Amino acid sequence: MVAVWAFAIRNLLMATRNVFFFFELLFWPIVGVVSIGLMTRFLELRSEATAFVLLGTIALSVVQVCQLEVAYAVLFDVWSKSVKHQFLAPIGVRHLTLGSWIVGMARGVVIFLILAVLGWWAFGVNVLAPGVGAVLAFLAGCFLTAWIVGVGVCALITLFGNRAEAFAWASANLVLLLAGIYYPISVLPAPVAAVAACIPLTHFLDAYRAHYGFASEFSHPVAIGFGLAAVYALVAHLALVAAVRHARGSGLLLKMSE
Amino acid sequence: MLAIEARDVTKTFRAGWIRRRQTEALRGVSLAVPRGAIVGILGPNGAGKTTLLSIFASLLIPDRGTVTILGHDVVRDATALRRRLNMASGRPSFLWSLRVGEIVAFYGRLYGLHGATLKRRVDELIETFELTAYRRAQYNELSTGLKQRLALAKALVNEPELLFLDEPTLGLDPDVSVRVRAHVASLRRERGMTIVLTTHYMREAEELCDEIAFIKGGRILAHGTADDLKRQIGLGDVIALRVEPRAAWLQTAPGVVRCAESDGWIECTVDDAEKRLPEMLRQLLAEGRTVKSVQVKEPELEEVFVELAR
Repeated sequence: MVAVWAFAIRNLLMATRNVFFFFELLFWPIVGVVSIGLMTRFLELRSEATAFVLLGTIALSVVQVCQLEVAYAVLFDVWSKSVKHQFLAPIGVRHLTLGSWIVGMARGVVIFLILAVLGWWAFGVNVLAPGVGAVLAFLAGCFLTAWIVGVGVCALITLFGNRAEAFAWASANLVLLLAGIYYPISVLPAPVAAVAACIPLTHFLDAYRAHYGFASEFSHPVAIGFGLAAVYALVAHLALVAAVRHARGSGLLLKMSE
Repeated sequence: MLAIEARDVTKTFRAGWIRRRQTEALRGVSLAVPRGAIVGILGPNGAGKTTLLSIFASLLIPDRGTVTILGHDVVRDATALRRRLNMASGRPSFLWSLRVGEIVAFYGRLYGLHGATLKRRVDELIETFELTAYRRAQYNELSTGLKQRLALAKALVNEPELLFLDEPTLGLDPDVSVRVRAHVASLRRERGMTIVLTTHYMREAEELCDEIAFIKGGRILAHGTADDLKRQIGLGDVIALRVEPRAAWLQTAPGVVRCAESDGWIECTVDDAEKRLPEMLRQLLAEGRTVKSVQVKEPELEEVFVELAR
């Protein structure tokens, strides 16, 4: 546990010393919610449809903020060329990803609450209306999705070095396209909808939107979402373990260091 | 008792899309390092020094061969082994925004230290490496020498039994280098730590190391004490004499490898000065010549390096 806290404290310190921290934390999520909210007004959407779209926007912001923090577990060391020091220590990859995830979840909760207040104040959407249990399940789904994407990004960076850095910034957009952020996945072509159904966030969004009167597209979406997330989390973790082992063999670990 | 026992270690780096570009970094390296010793790994650039050190530190997996460190297999028991070793390099790099105290504490936590134990350890290391005044300075504000000292402090955070130093005084001012070398010597003297270091500085190797392994082209060409290496290379000793009148026969005297004359001195490289000098003096005096000055010089380790690197 001490090693997990080491990474959590490190990420927190790095975040607080970064002048772009608040910009990164607030600017894009707020711009996203405000612009999408205004678009719903322009299109004169019903209040349920506005809630549908804003919930997706908020979910995407939470996933983005949290997954980026998880990716920082490796990115900070790649940028500072200090990768070898952490892999010289007697820790597993779970320590570094979990530590970063804790900070990612804290940031995710902050941004969720800010956007919830903004959504209620500016557009009359009460994001917290479904109740504590539903909110917690929804956030847990967002955070698990973020962890999976973040760990996947870490694996790619460990495998391919700096060249894979673009994945850190772009990966969440793939979720945007497939997980039904702005539309129900029933509008997608059947093969793409099948892929979308394999993404945990699709199920968590589906379950949460059901509280706003939208018919659920899946039976037991929360259970399926957690089931899928557990499988992908394990796969992502094993992929990172394999990537680190490969980097120890290929020498990339040293190339990414001093 | 051996701290490191490496047998027939090979490592080839492959690059390119279909991994066709190959670099053989190590070609069957075997090396034994006794516990409590300071062993230097010397060699020209690209010889395989850092690769070997990285394999010992479990940062790199060898292609073939076995490496046993402190009784652990370096590949199979890597996690258990990592608790007992640490490493510092001559070009240290840490997170740019973290402060000196935070960096040492971060790595301390990775080794399981926490609470009062962690605080005590961080304080102790910061004091030992004279970093107290810079404790709240961010890493990117530090000078090269301070970064080096911080790297050494970090490398000792887990009180390792085995310490790897990759060119620890690279680019440092002479006075800082002297202090770093003194620290390294005291680690072995006071804590019995086994230290393996790579260096380009011959004086550093000669001053610090009990044994030296000379590596080139991924192979260890020579291994032993500095004196052993000098003998192995057969550079011999140099006897410098000022004799009047000139004694031409010195050039062909028994045991003389070569002779050169300059500024009234004749310098003879001999196989063994202890044996040859009395013989020479006896004959010179018997011939009635005046021996004005005599100097015996051992070859420098640098000459061994040049000879082996050729």
